[in-house]
Amino acid sequence: MRISIEDVHFVYPGGVEALRGVSLSIEPGERVAIVGQNGAGKTTLVKHLNGLLRPTRGRVRIGDWDTAQVEVHRLAQRVGYVFQNPDGQLFCRTVAEEVAFGPRNLGYTPEEISQRVAEALALAELEDKAEANPYDLSPSWRKMVALASVIAMDTPIVIFDEPTTGQDVRTIRRIERMIEMLSQRGKTILTITHDIDFCAENFERVVVMGQGRVLLDGPKEMVLGMEAILAQTYVEPPQLTRLGMRLGFEKTVCTSEQFLETLRRRLDHPQSDPRAEG
Amino acid sequence: MVERLSFYLERSSPLHRLNPTTKLVVAFTLILVAFLGPGLLLPSLIFLLILTPLSFVGQVGREFLRTTVRLLLPLFAFLFVMQSLFYPGGKTVLFGFWIFSVKLEGVRFAFLTATRVLVMVSSFLLLLFTTHPGVLLLDLTQRGLPASVAYILASTLQIIPQMQAKAATILDAQRSRGLDTSGSLGRRIRALLPLVGPLVFGSLVDVEERAIAIEARGFRSSRPKTSLVEIEDRPLERALRWLCLLAIILALGSRLWP
Ligand SMILES: Nc1ncnc2c1ncn2[C@@H]1O[C@H](COP(=O)(O)OP(=O)(O)OP(=O)(O)O)[C@@H](O)[C@H]1O
Ligand SMILES: [Mg+2]
Repeated sequence: MRISIEDVHFVYPGGVEALRGVSLSIEPGERVAIVGQNGAGKTTLVKHLNGLLRPTRGRVRIGDWDTAQVEVHRLAQRVGYVFQNPDGQLFCRTVAEEVAFGPRNLGYTPEEISQRVAEALALAELEDKAEANPYDLSPSWRKMVALASVIAMDTPIVIFDEPTTGQDVRTIRRIERMIEMLSQRGKTILTITHDIDFCAENFERVVVMGQGRVLLDGPKEMVLGMEAILAQTYVEPPQLTRLGMRLGFEKTVCTSEQFLETLRRRLDHPQSDPRAEG
Repeated sequence: MVERLSFYLERSSPLHRLNPTTKLVVAFTLILVAFLGPGLLLPSLIFLLILTPLSFVGQVGREFLRTTVRLLLPLFAFLFVMQSLFYPGGKTVLFGFWIFSVKLEGVRFAFLTATRVLVMVSSFLLLLFTTHPGVLLLDLTQRGLPASVAYILASTLQIIPQMQAKAATILDAQRSRGLDTSGSLGRRIRALLPLVGPLVFGSLVDVEERAIAIEARGFRSSRPKTSLVEIEDRPLERALRWLCLLAIILALGSRLWP
């Protein structure tokens, strides 16, 4: 399902101009990370995709639907959105009920519902907590419940708003596995994040936002190399990428594999890169 | 963002610059006069000739009128229907239909009650719209209100907007997971039921966290506290407050010796 955002402007009722002309188009199955300083408008932008916010000017299309014409609960068939803050988005008595809430609303049959719930619980490694009250869990597990409750809806587009914030490495790995799984099933995945390593390791395309605009958009190898523009919105390329730049690598490297490979090549043919001297 | 959690609307108007206690006193005076004073039309005149113009002076006229109507219209409709039909001892029948008859006494009573409530609610709205709750309470504590009372007042002033904000978040989350919250009343109520738990629970957690936070900043310290914020209080305003007292006494007098 294609996402197309055409010159979207958005002004909050208080008068804050949060989006000032954003255009993006995202193809089915893409993995996109959105980065940018606090207050850049990232959350505001993704809330437009499931209709929670409607553009003041411009248009947002999900497949053949214009979000301004479709109610939020119907858009939920196409777009799953995990909120930035897990509290407030959980309201059921048990984890299992919480995860079943979405699929039930979308009108799946009871068998489909229990199958989707079981799958989502397994993906989030929540099986042993199915009967717990979400509010008895630690914040990081609550976040997993929030993720599972959206994944269970099995929507073609899934949006995560800062999934890794405040999580330890084990939980981050769990989230990465979830993203990988969803990706294999052909879902479009959009993730807002401030964790630039997480971004570099899990996404192909990076959108950089600053002050309500898209500053950069493209493959991560292109975007993460633009140190000066990234600095405008207080984003720093990953440490490895910066090291690669200081070493004079010709291509921007984003992951440790890429880094090691480039390094190995240079050690094999030192003369191929004149900047490597000294 | 934070400002949205109270009724306060930030503008720069003479009304905003008034000392908060003055505004509080004026609000109470208007309410007392509306309830005690003579005449059927007094409360409506207070609303039309004092409160509404004041709201425009305070540059919050549109919000003031909109919120007042939204808050009170259902109540008024209910009052008028109940009182005009069922007011005990009404004699002057205005018109009748089927087994009902609308009586003048009932309509008068409904009108008076409604306009009194109108003055009560709208003068507080005007106060809250033009006064930052923090400034109001700071001023009151500097005038000798115990800090714990101020705290209780502050939390009550903020609890409704806070609950609203929370409820809106939860509703958003539910709609995002496919719950249809529009449509029939039954559907809406069913959508709201699951909200009660998290709302109450969330508020309790908030209360505890806030208690710890203010305690950590020396809330119960018994030493005299100084304040960073200076609140202006002009002699003219002091005079105005004495005038308010006079108005209250007059209204009371008109009630006791009609
Ligand atoms: N409900 C709201 N009412 C008014 N202004 C808002 C509201 N939500 C956000 N804003 C403002 O809109 C701008 C964009 O906010 P947004 O939440 O989209 O930023 P963000 O990129 O998600 O930031 P963060 O990384 O901190 O989550 C900010 O200036 C913010 O203060
Ligand atoms: Mg955000």
